[in-house]
Amino acid sequence: MNQLQRIILYLLVLIAGAAWIALSADTGAATNEATSAPQAGFTAPDFTLETLSGETYTLSSLQGNVVLVNFWATWCPPCREEMPAIQKLYEEYKDQGFIVLAVNSTIQDNPAEIPAFIEEYSLAFPILLDKSGEATRAYQIRSLPSSFFINRLGIITEVVIGGPMSEALLRTRIEEALK
Amino acid sequence: MLALFQNLFAPPRHMILLVIAAWLGLTLAERRAERHGVSRDDLNNLTFYGLIAFVLGGRIAYVLQNLSAFAKSPLGIVSINPDLFDTTGAVFTAVIVAMVYGQRKRLLLWNTLDALTSFFAVIAVGLGLSHLAAGTAFGLPTDLPWGINLWNATRHPTQIYETLASLLTFGLLWSLKANPRPGVFFLLFTSLTALSHLFIQAFRADGARIFSGLHQGQVIAWVVLAASFVLLEARFAKRPDRV
Repeated sequence: MNQLQRIILYLLVLIAGAAWIALSADTGAATNEATSAPQAGFTAPDFTLETLSGETYTLSSLQGNVVLVNFWATWCPPCREEMPAIQKLYEEYKDQGFIVLAVNSTIQDNPAEIPAFIEEYSLAFPILLDKSGEATRAYQIRSLPSSFFINRLGIITEVVIGGPMSEALLRTRIEEALK
Repeated sequence: MLALFQNLFAPPRHMILLVIAAWLGLTLAERRAERHGVSRDDLNNLTFYGLIAFVLGGRIAYVLQNLSAFAKSPLGIVSINPDLFDTTGAVFTAVIVAMVYGQRKRLLLWNTLDALTSFFAVIAVGLGLSHLAAGTAFGLPTDLPWGINLWNATRHPTQIYETLASLLTFGLLWSLKANPRPGVFFLLFTSLTALSHLFIQAFRADGARIFSGLHQGQVIAWVVLAASFVLLEARFAKRPDRV
């Protein structure tokens, strides 16, 4: 292939590429927000769960706040390890509209151990019991802990699978969602 | 099969795929290094320093971007959380360190890039597989029979498209016996990778949109493609004794 042939080929590819970009322009990112799924950019799947005392929380009713949905279990060491940092930052940011919903994956935990866990870490945020596994399934939980940061519009901004989350990680994600 | 793969490499285990790809890519790159006029030792040292710089640079860049948060939680700077990472900063630092090392060792730029091409090509395959495992870089909803169920919809398997395109690029480059000019091997890789991204990004549902709906990733791929063509032609235009 000589130089002229190569240049013609380059130009044809670039013109076809530009046409393909124009043809495939869409608003796909915006449509994600209309769908509910446990992934960044999507609307957070809704759930209604009870605390140990029988108080009910519905995620969608908290819209307007920044919510951290944290899935955990008492037997999970990284879940235990990250709880003090979550509690500390909850206290620090709650006045700015930051809420923590700590969802105990009760289908894979012993509910009898939950009160001692709450006391051990002096947790002040709502501890929700996912007895039927409804929320665990909706959020497609495959590892514990799993954390979902949700902005004021109810859109998931960040997903952190595994742990423990450090205080710095929590702080950057919360501040980003609060913006 | 797909569900099994996604369960086996569910995040954060999907990172294993990238580590395997880096190891395999480096092993293959080493085999061909001398063909491009670069010694195995130099290639090993270059990638070693580059990877260290990648990891450190990614963390430092992230800390610099979130100084107020780290000022309140300074221990977080040395935390093992892989999420405290800025990929752009990581790549930038790795490139700088690799360039400094290359200059000190008087490595020829184009020859070194050619020698590293197999490494980059296998990393690209690993990246596609890690996207598939994590469910990231996901596609638009589709009715096509090969759609995969992901994030509550049947979607284009863009991660599979990406993996196949990267495999094809790697296979094509690996099968090339001769390199007409130093740099051509590497620039063919960047051209083919940019071209496949330009095509596949059209089916992606994530990623930023610019200028009322254009996929930012496609625009970047087009610019990389154009730059690769210009450099490729410049390499061909050089007299063989001046390469």
